[in-house]
Amino acid sequence: MLGAGDELPPFIIERVSPEAMKAWAVFLHDPNPIHLDVEVVKAKGLGDRVINQGPANVAYLMNMLMAAFPGAAISKMESRFVDNVYAGDRLTAGGRVTSVEGGAVQCDIWLRADGRDVVITGSATVSTCAPA
Amino acid sequence: MADLAELPSAPDVAGTSLDGTEPYVITAEENAALCRSTGVEPAADGSAHPVYYYVATQVAMGKTVAGVCETCRFDVEDGPMMGSSGVSFQAPLKVDHPYRVTGEILSLVRKRSRKLGVMDVLDYRLRLHDQAGATVLETTNVWVLPRKELA
Repeated sequence: MLGAGDELPPFIIERVSPEAMKAWAVFLHDPNPIHLDVEVVKAKGLGDRVINQGPANVAYLMNMLMAAFPGAAISKMESRFVDNVYAGDRLTAGGRVTSVEGGAVQCDIWLRADGRDVVITGSATVSTCAPA
Repeated sequence: MADLAELPSAPDVAGTSLDGTEPYVITAEENAALCRSTGVEPAADGSAHPVYYYVATQVAMGKTVAGVCETCRFDVEDGPMMGSSGVSFQAPLKVDHPYRVTGEILSLVRKRSRKLGVMDVLDYRLRLHDQAGATVLETTNVWVLPRKELA
């Protein structure tokens, strides 16, 4: 059982895939070209690789939480987008327990990109008494 | 550089309804594809990936992303950016169940940032309801709309 101060096991994304970005454009009904066309990214001065959709980055953090607390449910989560995630990035989703009260585990969470530091910071509450 | 007080104010859009008109169903097939795109297998118990809090509410709200931007008199081609996203779940999401969305724009505030210059900060809230009308989740999102023409 994890307690306050414990680090959560990291969830690693070895390589952010531009193919997955095409799928997310369909999931989100959002054909924003910064996720699909590197020439648009360059023209906007945003870099030289396509940019991952923000909700996909949130999903990595949720995967980390679900793996750290099997059978539990995420009841609250806040994500602050600090920097872009680009195609080819290697990411680490991590977290640390800040408190445990009853069935509620509070955590600080983060998503780091190798070589560039934190791209998302946030917090989450995981209910170990999952709702039906 | 113009002082913020000298710039026109952001459009008054607080209270604009984002209620959806069509039900949204998370299909088992799409849930599986979404899960695998993030490096995990779909759950076997019929629950959907919790990130559908964002996907479902964005897709089924009453305006498209471009439509929300248009309401804010912002060209979607100028690149809205996610600032933050929060969610509170009352129940897990399930595949093959219809949901509907209600929601509204909370505020649009003009600010100046060192990095982006003049920008409008859009704050909106969406709720996802099940077929019986119970609220399954509430999400509040913040988008940053860079106002290059005012920078």
